[in-house]
Amino acid sequence: MSTAATEEITLTRKDFVSDQTVRWCPGCGDYSILAQMQRVLPATGVAKEKTVFISGIGCSSRFPYYMNTYGIHSIHGRAPALATGLAIANPDLTIWVITGDGDGLSIGGNHLLHAIRRNVNLNIVLFNNRIYGLTKGQYSPTSRPGTVTKSSPMGSVEQPLNPIAVAMAAEATFVARSIDSHPQHLAATLERAAEHKGASFLEIYQNCVIFNPNEWTDLSDRKNRDDSILYLEHGKHMIFGKDRDKGIRLNGFTPEVVSLDEVDLDDILVHDATSKPLASILGSMEFPDYPAAMGVIRDVRKPDYAGELIGQVQTAQEQRGAGDLNQLYLAADLWTVEEREEAEEREITSLASDGDEMPITGLDEEYIDEMDKPEEVLSDFQDLLVTNTLAELNPKVPITVGKRSSLARTVRQMNQHNIGCMLVTDEENRLVGIFTEWDVLNRVAGLVDDLTQETITDYMTADPLTLKEDLPIAQALNLMSIHGFRHLPLVDDGGQPTGIVSFRDVVGYLNEALEDMTD
Amino acid sequence: MTDRVSAETYEVEELESVAIRFAGDSGDGMQLTGTQFTNTSAVFGNDISTMPDFPAEIRAPAGTLAGVSGFQVHFSSRNVLTPGDAPQVLVAMNPAALKASLPELERAGTIIVNTDAFTKQNLSKAGYGSNPLEDDSLEGYQVLAVPMTSLNREALAGFKELTNKERDRCQNFFALGMVFWMFDRSMDTTRDWLFKKFARKPIIAEANLKAMETGYFLGETTETFQQRYNVRPAALPPGTYRKVTGNEALSMGLVTAAQKMGKPLFYGSYPITPASDILHSLAPLRHFDVRTFQAEDEIAAICAVIGAAFGGALAVTGTSGPGIALKSEAINLALTLELPMIVVNVQRGGPSTGLPTKTEQADLLQAMFGRNGESPLPIVAPATPSDCFEMALEAARLAVRAMTPVFLLSEGFLANSAEPWQAPRAEDIPEISVKHPQGHRNGNGHSPFLPYERDPETLARPWALPGTPGLEHRLGGLSKAPLTGNVSYDPEHNEQMISERAEKVARLAGVIPEQDVFGAAEAELLMLSWGGTFGVVRSAVASAQRAGRSVAHAHLRYLNPFPRNLGDVLKRYRKILVPELNSGQLALLLRSKLGVEVETYANLSARPLKIAEVRDVINANLGRG
Repeated sequence: MSTAATEEITLTRKDFVSDQTVRWCPGCGDYSILAQMQRVLPATGVAKEKTVFISGIGCSSRFPYYMNTYGIHSIHGRAPALATGLAIANPDLTIWVITGDGDGLSIGGNHLLHAIRRNVNLNIVLFNNRIYGLTKGQYSPTSRPGTVTKSSPMGSVEQPLNPIAVAMAAEATFVARSIDSHPQHLAATLERAAEHKGASFLEIYQNCVIFNPNEWTDLSDRKNRDDSILYLEHGKHMIFGKDRDKGIRLNGFTPEVVSLDEVDLDDILVHDATSKPLASILGSMEFPDYPAAMGVIRDVRKPDYAGELIGQVQTAQEQRGAGDLNQLYLAADLWTVEEREEAEEREITSLASDGDEMPITGLDEEYIDEMDKPEEVLSDFQDLLVTNTLAELNPKVPITVGKRSSLARTVRQMNQHNIGCMLVTDEENRLVGIFTEWDVLNRVAGLVDDLTQETITDYMTADPLTLKEDLPIAQALNLMSIHGFRHLPLVDDGGQPTGIVSFRDVVGYLNEALEDMTD
Repeated sequence: MTDRVSAETYEVEELESVAIRFAGDSGDGMQLTGTQFTNTSAVFGNDISTMPDFPAEIRAPAGTLAGVSGFQVHFSSRNVLTPGDAPQVLVAMNPAALKASLPELERAGTIIVNTDAFTKQNLSKAGYGSNPLEDDSLEGYQVLAVPMTSLNREALAGFKELTNKERDRCQNFFALGMVFWMFDRSMDTTRDWLFKKFARKPIIAEANLKAMETGYFLGETTETFQQRYNVRPAALPPGTYRKVTGNEALSMGLVTAAQKMGKPLFYGSYPITPASDILHSLAPLRHFDVRTFQAEDEIAAICAVIGAAFGGALAVTGTSGPGIALKSEAINLALTLELPMIVVNVQRGGPSTGLPTKTEQADLLQAMFGRNGESPLPIVAPATPSDCFEMALEAARLAVRAMTPVFLLSEGFLANSAEPWQAPRAEDIPEISVKHPQGHRNGNGHSPFLPYERDPETLARPWALPGTPGLEHRLGGLSKAPLTGNVSYDPEHNEQMISERAEKVARLAGVIPEQDVFGAAEAELLMLSWGGTFGVVRSAVASAQRAGRSVAHAHLRYLNPFPRNLGDVLKRYRKILVPELNSGQLALLLRSKLGVEVETYANLSARPLKIAEVRDVINANLGRG
């Protein structure tokens, strides 16, 4: 905006008045806002050709037609998005977004949030009359519960949005509130919004004389308003009232209205427009429980979106030079077809190293990233399970019995070796079955009279699931967990047992590994 | 070509063209494998055409049919226009990949399988009751059974720094090595790529190289592969070539258009398959003054584009059908504001969310009529991946000329397919002329600026930019008076503005090329296609012509307005058949706009047409000849 401030021509209010007849209802609060806008703009020093008004749909959105600047009367709710594109295309412009409680918080709520969040250099002015005017009187997203309208004849059952709280939730860098019935205050607040670089959000309490005429009476009545409004000034105590005899004090996290006769001035809150918690507290103070906070609630400086984006363009051009189309076309593996019929000799070149190469399409960009990424993507623990093999567990040498062995011999062996599991092999020492304590309990104990007369093959589990030593520990853990196995035999390629892994081995190993990691 | 071994000990068969399909799990790197084979074949000098085919789910369960990711490459010693009907070679990394791809494979084709992946578990995940490698279900195919996992593990055993998982991830390069050997291809291009790509982690490059070489030398040293094939370089026109996908070509076309207009490129988009790659391609091009904007939703993307167009950028949005549905109200705003911009629709299978990764041509009528009120817009549609470059330039030229949004209808198939592209010289591309009215500082003596005062030839209104003194004006979506653009509900004004907007689009017919025809100027049958079916239909018609059939082919790249001579062209053919990947949308337009009798061949499989399929249709329509 500073570029425009050098204009020699002095503008007046009349320069900003367009040739179109204003068509709001007589007595509408919009007239006041329009008048103050036309009054304030010459003072900001911005040339009118660099000023743009963008609106959506609704009564307030007719605003651009009445301003002799550039302007777009767009579609419902989308003004912040249009304005964002314009700010990126030409960051030298001063762009005003005019919206209402329906346009900005209902159909266009998403765009409002994101324009504020991105801190696009826009002055967003939301006319809040808590009613749908243009569509002739339905409740709006800011209407109070119980509001009786054509679409809520028994009273609205919806909770209203608080526009200031919405802006704060979107990390607004400038938040302010004013009211149509207080022209001086309105003009001053508009001026502050214009000065702020980044997204300025200004809520204006605006009166709809036709469909919601009493909404702001307490705040606009000259006799009472000083008792209902808290005028904020950065660095000043929060004092209000006709006789300036009331103040705001914090009681814990809750603001409360106190009488200055009873409370020391030092206990009264001092406004700090850079404080985020304070801004949230002020935004939460709803009339009539509290005075309505008016003025600049929050004003901080952060980089604006288009400035950052154009900054990237400049950085890229400084680092790489302005883009060269021929380089772009040739930033890939190239081959040359010679003039001859049979082009055997081919020159293979690649210019892709300058970074212009287009990314590989499709899913495999992800595949490459995965190959290329640092290894901490798996947790150390997962990695351990996936990469370390069962050999690391030092599996026990298996104790085996031949498949013709008797039950008696098998059980004796288990006792001798103090093991819970026996592997059964054939003549060529290939694994054919497994016999465990569980089998003793369930298939033998109390059921078999003479263990010496029974062959092990009738009592074992035949063809058990096996693993190989070079498989990951995770696989054993997986099988044990799915099937409830306490033992897993390991075999070689020939099917001969090479070891046995018990649940206890795995748990012991994991426990040790965990200890190593937490050391 | 140092890797080339003497081919004398093997039987080498000369082939004109081959299509290979690489198929595996989403996580197996099949797109990458196919891309590497394609690059090598392109650099070798074959003509190529590719088609990736991947699931919509990023990580569908491993080993299942839903998780199969495929990449088909067609390479040839002659001109190819399609990725090939049925591949002759299938590389299947697991049972699911085999099951999903087998129906596509040519009869008696070659199957290279990773036998290590044919475990009980994987077979059951793929829905195989028995192991197809052991029963007779692959009878008639030439099956090369290779235990890739174990051979690869063995080969990479020395890479102690790598985990087993990392070693296994090189398996796809093992497979690639085998295919390189089979088709007598050099490993140089891929080797260079590996060391460039993994410059920060050379160990990964080394391991992949080792895997590839092991696969290659396996072919040489074992008897598994007795047959090698040679596909000679194609006789492409002389020049320098690169490989390009439709989305890459489109991105480069948009950047070029902006530069030729002397404007920044504003690209506002919300991520959506299969258009997101355009955003990915453009985002790194800031040094071309490319201003990409990832919007909060589809509507914000088009609205930001409108704002940027008002501000004087070449403004473009890209999306797919569902995104267009969301944008349609704003496109109509752009239409009545009469601002130039490009709306790219990379069509996918519909309706609703439909088939995000599959292709279709079913949004033509959406582009034509999918808005409220009378709202004609120009529509162009590229025919091939590289044609996306040309049509991006065309879209920009028409948009600026007529001050209107222009639809560019691409397709998922074009977006992701690749073909050789003879890169143009930037200096040979004509400038796109842009005029902005001059401003003035002092209002006195100047008549008021008329934002809707139309150019008598093009009927375009002036593109006056904010920031220009003296031309302050307001635009809006309400009905307007001519010249001033002031809000007006006057019925005559409304009618005049609607007619003028329609007429300015119609007048573009005067500046787009006339319709050409491949084949005789008069014949029994005219095949009339549009969009990405070009290659298939052209190949089928060429083959029918060689067989002496009386058939010609016309391919439309301009859908609204139609080329000015189209009506005359169509009169010269006894029968007109329109093959489309929809239920007859172009046919409907032709009947209503030109009053011609046309027949539809509709394919609603959300897959590209096949040459044989179109050949059959041609034969069926010509009777026994």
